[in-house]
Amino acid sequence: MAMLDTAVTATETLTVQKQSRRRRGVRVQFTQFKWLYLLLVPGIVYFLLFRYWPMYGAIIAFKDYVPFLGIADSPWVGFAHFEDFFASPDFPRLLGNTIILALLSLLIAFPLTIIVALLLNEMRVTILKRTTQTLIYVPHFLSWTVVASLTYLLFALDIGPLFQLVNGVLGTDINFLADPAWFRPIIVLQDIWKNTGWGTIIFLAALAGVDQAQYEAAIIDGAGRFQRVWHITIPSIMPTIIVMLVLQMGQILNTGFEQIYLMTNSLNRSVADVFDTYVYFMGITQGSYSYSTAVGLFKAVVGVVLIFGANWVAKRFNQVGIF
Amino acid sequence: MNHSKPLVGVGLAVVAALALTGCSGSSTGDDEATGADAAKLESLSIMAPFLSTNAPEEDNEIETALEDVIGVDLDMTWVPNASYGDKVNITLAGDDLPQVMVIQGKDPGFVRNAEAGAFWDLTEYLDDYENLETTFPEVQRASSVNGKVYGVFRARDVMREAVIIRKDWLENVGLELPETTEDLYEIAKAFTEDDPDGNGADDTYGLIIPKWPGTIGTNSPWDAIETWYGAGTRWTERDDELVPNFTTDEWLEAVQFERQLVEEGVVNPDYATFDSAKWNEPFLTGKGGIIIDVHSRVGQLISLVKQSDPENFENFVDVTGNLTGPDGELYALPTSGYSGFLAVPKAQVRTEAELRGVLEVLNELNSAEAGPILNNGIEDLTYTLDGDLAVAVDDAPQALKDTVGAYAQLGMNVNGFQGYLPKQPSDYEQEMYDKRKQIEASDLESAQFDPAAPYVSPTYVSKGAQLDTIVADARIQYIAGQIDLDGLEDAIALWRSSGGDDIIAEINELADADS
Repeated sequence: MAMLDTAVTATETLTVQKQSRRRRGVRVQFTQFKWLYLLLVPGIVYFLLFRYWPMYGAIIAFKDYVPFLGIADSPWVGFAHFEDFFASPDFPRLLGNTIILALLSLLIAFPLTIIVALLLNEMRVTILKRTTQTLIYVPHFLSWTVVASLTYLLFALDIGPLFQLVNGVLGTDINFLADPAWFRPIIVLQDIWKNTGWGTIIFLAALAGVDQAQYEAAIIDGAGRFQRVWHITIPSIMPTIIVMLVLQMGQILNTGFEQIYLMTNSLNRSVADVFDTYVYFMGITQGSYSYSTAVGLFKAVVGVVLIFGANWVAKRFNQVGIF
Repeated sequence: MNHSKPLVGVGLAVVAALALTGCSGSSTGDDEATGADAAKLESLSIMAPFLSTNAPEEDNEIETALEDVIGVDLDMTWVPNASYGDKVNITLAGDDLPQVMVIQGKDPGFVRNAEAGAFWDLTEYLDDYENLETTFPEVQRASSVNGKVYGVFRARDVMREAVIIRKDWLENVGLELPETTEDLYEIAKAFTEDDPDGNGADDTYGLIIPKWPGTIGTNSPWDAIETWYGAGTRWTERDDELVPNFTTDEWLEAVQFERQLVEEGVVNPDYATFDSAKWNEPFLTGKGGIIIDVHSRVGQLISLVKQSDPENFENFVDVTGNLTGPDGELYALPTSGYSGFLAVPKAQVRTEAELRGVLEVLNELNSAEAGPILNNGIEDLTYTLDGDLAVAVDDAPQALKDTVGAYAQLGMNVNGFQGYLPKQPSDYEQEMYDKRKQIEASDLESAQFDPAAPYVSPTYVSKGAQLDTIVADARIQYIAGQIDLDGLEDAIALWRSSGGDDIIAEINELADADS
């Protein structure tokens, strides 16, 4: 803690001194704060070594990479892998599947997180609130493998309890695990079950920061609970919502590999194949390193474009962006 | 986040490439060694899969015994079988390659590396070694990439396909073992509708079919039925041209039969999701009565029944071989005769002299002295000899039994099985074992070998994985009734237009050049 305090004070000093000493140049500043800069070194090394250096490997997307020849000696092929990918019948299917799953998650799971956070915030009995919070966090700590196994058990043909319940009540005979029409609902349900509770944390933190005096004033003015939520709570946490939304946009093509991979079978593959599973299948299983890197790179570029796009839109509407 | 994974792998590959160059600098560099001289190895590193839950421990009894025979230290890297293919592709992109790698098949990743020169071409070398010169040249050819042999193949029984049936149910419904696919249908229907277990409830079905991990032409129960219908195995010859079996009329006919089986409810309804690791369960618990799989499953099932019902286990399982198709001919489904091969990466074995050294060790590993260790274990510890049959020592520790199983993965047996055949624990089991062997021998005469096995087309290497999935998924969708016959034919047309026609042309070119 002591070190942290020093760091904070030092940073403040830095900010103050920055204005007065700007002209004296980088060198003086560097010698003066050399120990602080030294503290920065591990972080920089980490990013260079594990985040930036591996990006060099992305050039294999433009080469016909064969491990034996190495990255440098593999022949260049330009955009051939990208052309192959965009021309292949897989592309529209993958794009469609990925975007539909992402939009479902954005339109259903994301608002649900905010709603649950608001509901928790309105709970009066602290012990009940705390207990509920803890309970809905728990699924987050289960791995997707466990979640998928549970789903298989619950929806197993003929013997799964949920299979029996749903089909018994509706009088239908739906094979949830193999029917392509049920793949997306199940993925979204799993996502909600596993991540909603955990996702509320950041909103609850934002909610805790809302000025209580505003609520008191609103109560005196005769505002009901819904009016208070609508006119005070939501506008107060709007910046947080926007930031989370922008971050979500960057993740839109990352549908989550494990979850999808574990729920896929021959009968639902037409709706289940997404970029992430495709990259794994082509790259790791089939050894088409270059091709799958091209696919991964395309996905990353789309992610960057979306994150900047969403940020720009947010700023246009006078909201706080992330940069 | 996920997109960074391949990039990280690639990053590692960069480091690998650097390390490789470093490696070549520090090695002896005696490239001018004459062909005949072999470098004497101190140790040999091998990467291999294991199928049990735990990998063998270091310096276990089996390894020590093997080292005594082959005269070098073994440095083993064991990888779980389920992720072995992934691990091979990752290892090839890394810098820590072993001197010998078990390669499980000619998948595109392997072929690409092999053609770029990552592995030694052993075609001209193997015949110099007494134990590596195969007595099954056609299998060695099938394991080659267009005639280039990149590894010492691991021999497997050529004929393994069997129809395994609940004997007691068969008696209850008053039917005989099937001989034709039509018989199979009738038995499956009787098992579903005629209450074969006599409990008065409608709670049984005929065929048990699991979710199959491979795509098309991977010896699944569906593939077996298609071969029985006369569609050939993977590839077949029509009008002097080699074509994939799913372009034939017989294949379409077989798939319609398969759809009929599913439609009439004689197959377990969860065939698309049912885990193949639990395949025995419905058979043992009396839910389903027919399994189409390999002969060795019969032995497994018998010993499982024996554990729970030592008195009556003899009346439980019966077996027959391949079934006659609708045209009255027997077309038997063979395996490829090998299960991958032991390949030598050039990254670690850089000179011809070193290669000769490695091959000498492999030659020892395939000798009559090493064979029983790989296949049976250690005498008096894991087996005892009764004549020339091995009797398993039942109270050997499970870890040791698993270890024997793991080292069996190194067995090549390219000039015949080098161990002792197992003696069955009871007369009944011996009788069933002999029956299986007899069926295998007679089915072998009708085996439909894949005529395209040695050929690897460039288009297949670049697109084969996607193409195989198109047909395999369409087949299951058709069987499940999600698409109709037009849909299935559309999928095959899509296969053709996405590169399938190129593959057919290339394969035929390779075959013509070969003959």
